[in-house]
Amino acid sequence: MSDQPADAEQSNQTHFGFKQVATEQKVSMVADVFHSVAGKYDLMNDLMSMGIHRLWKRFTIDCSGVRAGHKVLDLAGGTGDLAAKFSRMVGNSGQVVLADINEAMLKVGRDKLRDLGIVGNVEYVQANAEELPFPDNTFDVITIAFGLRNVTDKDKALASMFRVLKPGGRLLVLEFSKPEFEVLSKVYDFYSFHVLPKMGKLVANDGDSYQYLAESIRMHPDQDTLETMMKNVGFEQTNYHNLTGGIVALHRGFKF
Amino acid sequence: MPAAQLFSAGLERAINQLIKLDPESAANLYKLSAKHLEVEIAEFPHALVFAFSDQVHVLVREKEAEGYQVDCKISLSLQSLQRLQDSSQITSLIKQGYLELEGDIHVAQAFSQLLKELHIDWEEQLSKFTGDVVAHTVFSAGKSLFEHAKKTANAVALTLKDGAMEEKKLAAHPYVVEDFCRQVNEVRSATERLDARLKLLETQREQN
Repeated sequence: MSDQPADAEQSNQTHFGFKQVATEQKVSMVADVFHSVAGKYDLMNDLMSMGIHRLWKRFTIDCSGVRAGHKVLDLAGGTGDLAAKFSRMVGNSGQVVLADINEAMLKVGRDKLRDLGIVGNVEYVQANAEELPFPDNTFDVITIAFGLRNVTDKDKALASMFRVLKPGGRLLVLEFSKPEFEVLSKVYDFYSFHVLPKMGKLVANDGDSYQYLAESIRMHPDQDTLETMMKNVGFEQTNYHNLTGGIVALHRGFKF
Repeated sequence: MPAAQLFSAGLERAINQLIKLDPESAANLYKLSAKHLEVEIAEFPHALVFAFSDQVHVLVREKEAEGYQVDCKISLSLQSLQRLQDSSQITSLIKQGYLELEGDIHVAQAFSQLLKELHIDWEEQLSKFTGDVVAHTVFSAGKSLFEHAKKTANAVALTLKDGAMEEKKLAAHPYVVEDFCRQVNEVRSATERLDARLKLLETQREQN
């Protein structure tokens, strides 16, 4: 199953928010969005989610089972919220790789972690999730938080993650999803399309990027579809947990 | 909103702030490095896992969740949590089934030691914000107030005790109670001796 509609696949097109664009264009367009917002990314996350994104990330860490000595890949790690925590938990005998396709985001993440005194067991890699530059069976845990919906070919990315995960390892996908209740869905739609872009314009001086954010969330596969996509590339014991009424969902799958 | 994560975030922040205020606690924390301690309280829907590094990480875990390894797991109820303050009761609590402990008990002991041995100089902490003079004045005044309240409370307790024992005769003096208990013990011993002697005499009569 792919994120591209069937007709779009035939014409080698994919979606960028609600727009149809050439597949090869999407990477650079997403890159432009994150180049634009990188500096205010953390601030905007706090404002947009009213700080709740920190709790969603905590839930991800709670479900990670990370221990000292583990090797963790924080994919699309952005400004390093998860990597900072993982770095302390895996200790000197473990390793955390913070990977992001976007150089600006990676730079912000690296500066932030260094300012927090987190050095030594964290590596920074600029990488495309669809073609991860790591050997097979490398990582005990892979997390991708609020990154998968920006990937052009999600099936290819999931397969790539499956390949670099060790047998017994787990993948955690934290991503916006479909609200469980109709009323919540309507409130959420109003907030996403009317409040978010204005907030983005006001704080980050970039309303378009936050318009893309709202659109990309609507184009992202729902909970059951994403779980099926994970199963299709080989993940086992897959499940998902809705957070805040399904606005966000954490998907989990194991490689055996 | 994930309420359990909100609680664990607050608890984690509080513990780490307290540890940061006592630089000498770093040595105790180092002993726990890379260890995981799970605490399961019967009345709570989730278990808490304390993961140790240069900080304490508080994780929330589903009870009976599979695929997680911890170095030590403690299961207990809120009621026995209060009794745990007296560490001499641990063995009896385990025997009575109020407390279950799996894994390395030293991890639990080291965590308990870390929290018990936190010595925070609150006056020093306050002085960082207010300066030494204000901090010292506030703490001296607080100390005097505390001593005064303690003395007053003791005086009130003594007055009430005297009133209840000497004037209203509502309670007995401890010496009287002690003497009464001694006499009860003597009567009990004498009764037991008499009982034993009667049994002996009965046995002798049956043999004759």
